[in-house]
Amino acid sequence: MKKIKSFVLAMLAVALAAPVFTSCNDDDPVNNIVSEYSKNDEMVANQKKASGKNEAVLLVAFGSTWSNSFAAFDATKKAYEKAFPNADVYISFSSDICINRASAGENGEARDYYEPRYLLHAIGAAKYSKIYVQSLQVIPGEEFANVVACVKKFMNNGYIASAHLDDAYLKKLDEDKAIFLGLPLLNDPENDVPEVAKQLDAEYKNEAAKGVVAFMGHGNPDNYDTFKANIRYTQLEEALQAINSNYFVGTVDMPDNYKQDVLARMKEAGKNSGDIYLHALMSIAGDHAHNDMAGGMNPEDEDEYWDASEPESEENSWFMYFKNNEYTPKVTLGTNKEPLGLLEIPGVLNVWIEHTKKAAFLEDAYHSMNPE
Amino acid sequence: MTAKRLTALIVATAACGTMACAQGKVDGILHEVVVTGTGTQHLLKDAPVQTEVISRKMLDTYGGKSLEEILGGLTASFAFSEGDMGSQMQLGGLGNAYILILIDGKRVHGDVGGENDLGLIDPHNIERIEIVKGAQSALYGSDAMAGVINIITKKHHDDALYLENTTRYGSYNDVRQHNGVGFGLGRLTSMTNFQLQHTDGWQNTRMERAEGQTLTDSRNKTLNKYTNYQLAERLDYQLAKDLSLYAEGSYYTKQINRPQNGSHPSCDVYTYDLRYRNASAAVGGKWNVNKRDAVTLDVDWNKHAYYYDYTARTYEYMKLEGEEYGELNGEWYSVPMYRGQSKLQSDQQRLMAQAKGVFYLPHDNTLSGGMEFRYDYLNAPLRTANGSASDWTAAAYVQDEFNMLQWLNVTGGLRLVQNHNFGLRLTPKISAMASLGDFRIRAGWGQGFKTPTVKELHYRYLHVMGSSTFFNIGNINLDPQGSNHYNAGVEYRGRKFTASVTGYINKLTDMIALVNVPVGEIPAGVTTAYLGDGSGNVQARMYKNMEDAKTYGVDMNASYKLTSELTLNASYSYLDTDAHLYDTQHNRLEKVTIDGMAHHKWSASAVYQHRFTPKYRLGLNLSTRGSSERFYQNNGNGKGFQIWRLNTTHDLGRTDRKLLYRLELGVDNLLNYRDRTMRPYHLGTTTAGTTVFATFSIKFKQGKALASAEKKGRDKASSGEDSEE
Repeated sequence: MKKIKSFVLAMLAVALAAPVFTSCNDDDPVNNIVSEYSKNDEMVANQKKASGKNEAVLLVAFGSTWSNSFAAFDATKKAYEKAFPNADVYISFSSDICINRASAGENGEARDYYEPRYLLHAIGAAKYSKIYVQSLQVIPGEEFANVVACVKKFMNNGYIASAHLDDAYLKKLDEDKAIFLGLPLLNDPENDVPEVAKQLDAEYKNEAAKGVVAFMGHGNPDNYDTFKANIRYTQLEEALQAINSNYFVGTVDMPDNYKQDVLARMKEAGKNSGDIYLHALMSIAGDHAHNDMAGGMNPEDEDEYWDASEPESEENSWFMYFKNNEYTPKVTLGTNKEPLGLLEIPGVLNVWIEHTKKAAFLEDAYHSMNPE
Repeated sequence: MTAKRLTALIVATAACGTMACAQGKVDGILHEVVVTGTGTQHLLKDAPVQTEVISRKMLDTYGGKSLEEILGGLTASFAFSEGDMGSQMQLGGLGNAYILILIDGKRVHGDVGGENDLGLIDPHNIERIEIVKGAQSALYGSDAMAGVINIITKKHHDDALYLENTTRYGSYNDVRQHNGVGFGLGRLTSMTNFQLQHTDGWQNTRMERAEGQTLTDSRNKTLNKYTNYQLAERLDYQLAKDLSLYAEGSYYTKQINRPQNGSHPSCDVYTYDLRYRNASAAVGGKWNVNKRDAVTLDVDWNKHAYYYDYTARTYEYMKLEGEEYGELNGEWYSVPMYRGQSKLQSDQQRLMAQAKGVFYLPHDNTLSGGMEFRYDYLNAPLRTANGSASDWTAAAYVQDEFNMLQWLNVTGGLRLVQNHNFGLRLTPKISAMASLGDFRIRAGWGQGFKTPTVKELHYRYLHVMGSSTFFNIGNINLDPQGSNHYNAGVEYRGRKFTASVTGYINKLTDMIALVNVPVGEIPAGVTTAYLGDGSGNVQARMYKNMEDAKTYGVDMNASYKLTSELTLNASYSYLDTDAHLYDTQHNRLEKVTIDGMAHHKWSASAVYQHRFTPKYRLGLNLSTRGSSERFYQNNGNGKGFQIWRLNTTHDLGRTDRKLLYRLELGVDNLLNYRDRTMRPYHLGTTTAGTTVFATFSIKFKQGKALASAEKKGRDKASSGEDSEE
């Protein structure tokens, strides 16, 4: 009997030991969030102290892991600093992966980018008297909605209790009408769309004189198109064609506006062959511009981007698709030998800067965290 | 060993050369006992269900460092691609999810992205491996649609004291350590095993396709550095002459280190390492109702947890829940994790209870019956919509082995499965074996039924593989999968020559596969954080039921005993697959490539063992393995390959002595074949080129355990996979 007892005890010991072994050392997110606020706060406070400026511009981009894009963001920041001489300019990425990967590169190449929610907290903690938040999105889609939510949360002091901002400061921002939200590039069909069309034409009219100029935007699948912003691509094409019938605007993901739809419209317009100049209609030239648009540009890569058995496949690039449809595709490269993003076209960047300058005060965003 | 003895040994070796200078014992293959096909013991040649065996001798002379190497090198049926997360294994065209791996009859637990971490299995503790293909076994679940691998571990019940140390060291700082301590104390026997596996990993190419160009300085490795170790304990207690009990538990952890010095954020920069933690506990017993009939009961719990260990600031997108978050309660938020911190990604837990009985009935019938209950729980706060998910399945089965005629055995089984989400299903299996002299003709049909796993239904995660990023998502609209596996084969087992040819067709309905889908098929909101404005390229993949899928092929094995000491083995496997998926975008049926499929695989070996003196035995194993091109849906096909290997074993000391030594020296990949295909395209094999290795073992055995006398009295042919001695 004694042996049975000891045996049962041994069994229990084994069964109980296993879960104890596996207790884990997860960390408490509250501390991490608060500590990240502090780090951002400190960085911004140092910047404010060094510059002595009292205005802040926060640019919000999706982000990238491409080095040519980092250069484009640097140039954008510089242009904003020139346009807003009284402001400190900050750039943030809303994509976690892009921040993570950009900041962990080799010495000298590592880029520290910050998350808008943390950076905006820091801007508030530093008590800038005027704040501009500018979306670097192309269309007012879901990403832009996230930017709006981020600013509203800021004005409502929507932070962890130990990291609350000074409510009196937020109230003053509201009273002074000093918090501004800059809208995406193609926000307004009446003014922005024709203006961007004009700027694109200014950049590419020589090409449009020689052949078709096709822009590749991103676009959203139907169930993602919550703000019905896809229509801007169609509107932009109309505005561009009003200038020159050689302009076309297609997308990667918007239904009925893929590369094959662009081809169909080109054929309908009688443009059956000849040169086609491809350009990215995205803020920076990242993965889509290099692969989905320009893939196969170097002859040795052609096989990577062309599957003849399914010409309209997403895997087939625009370059190879038009090449295999009797056109001569061309990708214009910038001085950095890369395709260009919209931020790299001064006239288009200027539309964004004008959006910031004319940004409207964000009304009704402030609600006291201590309602009476 | 003294220098004099060593000299004598060398002289003896030279004198004998490769000629046989002593009579070897008749090889044990003819008398090999197998249990996997039916759950009852049979001589291999008389097993009603076709069973492939990797014998102790094969394992001993091959010197494999891992289960991947053993299965990949000693049979032609398997294909492997080692990844960060574990091994992508394939048997008969079907992947890990369809292969049931058992250790002494118990299911191995845990997968990450459909890959099994085979590091859980200690290669130095394997007695033999049995493989049964197709959903043929009523006992081991109908979800084993590709087959069952049963790993029978070494047992030392008969020794009063047993100590073992095996250390293997190879190229790339490859370390495999195994320690065993066993003892018998009255009615109690204890066995403690420790194992450690480590490699620094290697890099076959610095080329990587990323950022629209071919980078030539990528730091991504072909196999990342990793370390794992496991501690396991088993206690057996002979409560009475006819009643034995056991309790066992294990703890395992694996740490995978990724390059920290990359310079291209788009492909070779990582901000976290990966870690697994497993634990298991089991209790059970066996009651020998009479001399032959027996009843067993097992209850086991397993945990497989997966963590990120951060090496630099990493924003994790997580749902904040709790009062402490104040205004942020209930929001998805980017939370920074810092170097030194960890975050649980998934924790899969499983509780299983099984009862089984084997009864020898009149008129040459053997009846097996049992019940099984399984509860699965997945805790993945960052990777499921609701933070966790669960599922349970109950099953009951019955099987009868009937020696209808002296030359004809018919084995039939039924398995009834009740699943929490997908209801009731009955799956029949039947196999027949005709014995005509040294020939065995077998035919079988088995139905399979596999409900979608909790992960296939609910799990979603971003899978970053260098420059390729996939967003993989579960699908709550999945249907269960069914299969019909047919096979027929002929086997010849003569004194010197054995050969078998088996053909099979496995037809699956509603096969679940992870396939590329347009982003639009993924619920809005889920991927916004990843897809953004298009500066990054993420391929969306979703689990889907295929319209139909069929795998079919032929497996051939042959073994010829040239002399009593020299055996030649060859194995070949032909495979083809045919699968279709309905493309909702184009409203048409599309042919789908089953990832990793290769038409031809082969392996062959020449095994020579000779005892030169009572104190020295030499073993030589020259082997080759190869595969034709492997096909994939994304990132290109893997090249065909053929690899040669030589292993030598040196057993030192008389077998009847307490202390035995063994030295192994080997070279893998003699011709230095290396697939240098640039990343992220698929490799045919991840081999690092020529590698060398050396293993040294010491074993100590002392006396007879008291309990063993009682055990001897039992009828060994009773039943049960864990009664192997």
